[in-house]
Amino acid sequence: MNDKPVQTALGGVTYLEHIPAMPKRERILARLGHRAATTILTDDQTAFLERGIEEALLLCHVKGAYRRIPVAECTDRIIRLENGTVFQSAGLAQLLSRSTEVVLMASTAGSAIMQRIAEEVSTGSAALGLILDATASHAADAGLDWMVSFLNGTLQRHGKRLTSRRFSPGYGDLSLEHQRIIFDLLDLDRMGLFLTEKYMLIPEKSVLAIAGIEGITE
Amino acid sequence: MTRKEFQQRLAEQVLILDGATGTELQKRGMPLGVCPEQWVLDNPQVLVDIQRAYIAAGSGAVYTCTFGGNRLKLAEFGLAKKNREINAELARLSRKAAGQQALVAGDIAPTGRFVRPFGDLAFEDAVAVYREQVLGLLDGGVDFFVIETMLDIQEARAALLAVRETCDLPVCVSMTFDQAGRTLTGTDPVTALITLQSLGADAVGCNCSTGPADMIQVIAAMKPYAKVPLLAKPNAGLPKLLDGKTVFDMSPEEFGAFIGRFIEAGVNLIGGCCGTSPAYIEQIRKHSSGLRPVAPCPRRFSAITSARTTSFAGPDIPMVVVGERINPTGKKKLQAELREGKTAEVRRFAAEQVAQGAGVLDVNVGMPGIDEKETMLKMVDLLSPVVDAPLCLDSSSADVLEAALRIYPGRALINSISGEQAKMERLLPVAAKYGAMFVLLPLDDSGVPETAEQRCAIVERVFAAAGQYGFTKNDIVVDGLVMTVSSDQKAAAETLKVISWCSTSFGCCTIVGLSNVSFGLPERGWVNAAFLAMAAASGLTMVIANPSSETLMRIKMASDVLTVRDKNSSGWIAYSSQTSASAAPGQAVGPERSAPEKVYDAVLKGDRDGIRELLDAALRGGLTPADAVDTCLIPAIVEVGSLFDRKVYYLPQLIQSAETMKSAFEMLEPMLATTGVQVVKKKAVIVLATVKGDIHDIGKNIVGLMLKNYGFTVHDLGKDVSEHDIVRAAKETGAELVGLSALMTTTMVEMKRVIALARKEGLTCKFMIGGAVVNEQYAAEIGADGYAPDAYAAVKLAETLSA
Repeated sequence: MNDKPVQTALGGVTYLEHIPAMPKRERILARLGHRAATTILTDDQTAFLERGIEEALLLCHVKGAYRRIPVAECTDRIIRLENGTVFQSAGLAQLLSRSTEVVLMASTAGSAIMQRIAEEVSTGSAALGLILDATASHAADAGLDWMVSFLNGTLQRHGKRLTSRRFSPGYGDLSLEHQRIIFDLLDLDRMGLFLTEKYMLIPEKSVLAIAGIEGITE
Repeated sequence: MTRKEFQQRLAEQVLILDGATGTELQKRGMPLGVCPEQWVLDNPQVLVDIQRAYIAAGSGAVYTCTFGGNRLKLAEFGLAKKNREINAELARLSRKAAGQQALVAGDIAPTGRFVRPFGDLAFEDAVAVYREQVLGLLDGGVDFFVIETMLDIQEARAALLAVRETCDLPVCVSMTFDQAGRTLTGTDPVTALITLQSLGADAVGCNCSTGPADMIQVIAAMKPYAKVPLLAKPNAGLPKLLDGKTVFDMSPEEFGAFIGRFIEAGVNLIGGCCGTSPAYIEQIRKHSSGLRPVAPCPRRFSAITSARTTSFAGPDIPMVVVGERINPTGKKKLQAELREGKTAEVRRFAAEQVAQGAGVLDVNVGMPGIDEKETMLKMVDLLSPVVDAPLCLDSSSADVLEAALRIYPGRALINSISGEQAKMERLLPVAAKYGAMFVLLPLDDSGVPETAEQRCAIVERVFAAAGQYGFTKNDIVVDGLVMTVSSDQKAAAETLKVISWCSTSFGCCTIVGLSNVSFGLPERGWVNAAFLAMAAASGLTMVIANPSSETLMRIKMASDVLTVRDKNSSGWIAYSSQTSASAAPGQAVGPERSAPEKVYDAVLKGDRDGIRELLDAALRGGLTPADAVDTCLIPAIVEVGSLFDRKVYYLPQLIQSAETMKSAFEMLEPMLATTGVQVVKKKAVIVLATVKGDIHDIGKNIVGLMLKNYGFTVHDLGKDVSEHDIVRAAKETGAELVGLSALMTTTMVEMKRVIALARKEGLTCKFMIGGAVVNEQYAAEIGADGYAPDAYAAVKLAETLSA
């Protein structure tokens, strides 16, 4: 045995240092205003787009964390977890109405991509900056998608699955202040993330989410 | 039981394993949420009864109840410190249940953490955690080990090494694959098999996750490459939750109907996982009775793996390109990055080479001024999760190679082991321990032999030494030793003879570092390409080269066709259609455009790099600067706006055109100034800011760029700007317009404060707002004069508000 003690999952949090997340190309394009039915790109513009996406993917270092916490009580607008945490949101309560546990998740595309976006927009090619920005946004989302898929794989054998949707603070009536609760429960300082007074995540391309765990009954 | 005895037993008969333990414990009263290991220790007879029932039903081996018996899992119940004792006691309990009737397998399972490079648990820590559990199970007298339900190949490697480094008992490794045939971290069955059997697993297989039908496919995929027996433990169909309990949808009889097919597909050990019970094992016994296992009889193959994929090499397979670019020699930028601990260049080289057709990536970080071992480990950690291609670990240091092999989450290729005595003695056991393939460099303590015969003699000598460690000819790749022809023109022929001997006589893979051949010559690419074609004809199977060279890649692909390695020329056809499509002119050919029209087109297409040259040509042709603006640039950007409005253009096209305009204006402005012509009417002064507390400003920056290109004078105050600073700037600049942006609900309220302060201080300027969370309604609510959903809308709004 090593001298160094091995830390157990911190408060049940699982950290992922490298998530093999691949953002969906059509989502990146949609974010950039591309409409399949109408938008026309020349070969050069297509090559520029592809290079931008490739470059962004090289600079995105997608990391993540998740934690499962049992639900103690779920009314029509309040979700109380077993550890005493309370979320106030009718929308979230509706989503979690059949859930016995919640999964809190975080994903980030890292800081290197943000630095590059800033450089491109200020002194390089703003068009490239936009492509990098859109790709990084979806890389962070793809990190969440990967965790959802992974968790579903592990839950399936217990006859369980995640809710088909997930909520993020700022969505519906789940206020942005909930970012602080999730940030602290996942101890995201440890992943190099920072939350501002106004509940903004740094690096900017970072996302938090909540989903429920429910039984497969059909 | 020795490993040899284990293999003999599996060669003679199918070993029936047990079924589920957890659900059986629950049936007999174990409550949910308790530590199963502790509960069994408190209720030992329950487990004894279950295992005896399995043995009575036909199980020839039972698993100890130690699925969660590693320290990290036990820590969740405050039992971490007792883990060795718990494992020992549980092993003794199974021993008691099994007696001499069945074998006892020490059960090892996931820690619940992800091991680096995928997670945050250090590889050595994972090995240490498993080693502790192994010691406990050994104390309890297990006959062999089973590492089961593994989701991640790196964690499986850690557990396997822990067993291998602690004892010499047989060990089986069983991964969990989903219905798409991948582990949850993306490893396919063949890759898992090759990685684990190379690392010393005595049997490999799969359990859990899917029912028998899907699992047969996994076994069938593994069998052609399996040098070891295969194991399967399927679930009893698919699970669902009924009244809070997990139930499975397959009856014992339905389950039993698959057993014959499992054995036919090549399984040597079979049992049941979730949802199974002694009744299912009874069905296995019934349906396997009289059937003999299919012995491992793998096809001859050479392969290395990453965490997610396998790269095969051989005489009947297209030549494998080993990308050479991750090597600091002669690359100043890469050298600087490695010294500074940065990784962008390495990531770029890796992705580019894979995209260009490299099947393996050579990684060499040897250079003065860095800690090579630390840097190599960092590269393995970095590259393993981001590229699928396996790595060729390239170093002259045995310590570096050993450290990298240990943490590499696959079967690596070592570059290289030569006939130098000290190097052989040091590296052969290391390569054998980690199951690596290696590049055999045919030189020895006397130096590089000149003739092919001398080199072939070294190959035979090194191979004989490697054979002592279990290496076969499939596990080595002989380097033909490419010497530069500018020093000795006959050197190339000697290399080709070595390649030819290896492929036709000795029977192993070959590799060359291609570019050495042309060192010192002009136009080296042609010499390299010619040599590659000759080497291919001699039977070369791998080449270390730069795949960005289209000439080389075409020669390689064409050679694959001509040597019948590219079956039906399908690779060549696919490659050619891809490259010819990108090389083809993208635009329809029409009548030659005039010089001013080309300027117009450049703005329309966003050709920022070409606009100045085109503008210069148009001016030399008689176009005045004023006409260039009036008849080319302005009409073009108006058309761009229209295209964007109609969604024919998307945002990057709009911005590319705006940036092209900007470049054109920068060129024309000094000329316009000297003529005194004011062709572009100066528009309003605008102050732009992202409000206090908000740090997202890309949208605001894009709006600023667009407004400038449309003639507005923009004062961009940046992000996180207080209301006082915005109002002060508006006063100082005499702004007619103020544009505010905010991305979050928590910061959009600052917009209202800015407007309120401006009104209080008597400012009459107009306000426009934008950002993801605001809209027209919010603009009206806070007293703003307008809202713009995007950059082009912001320009139009600014023109309206300042008209």
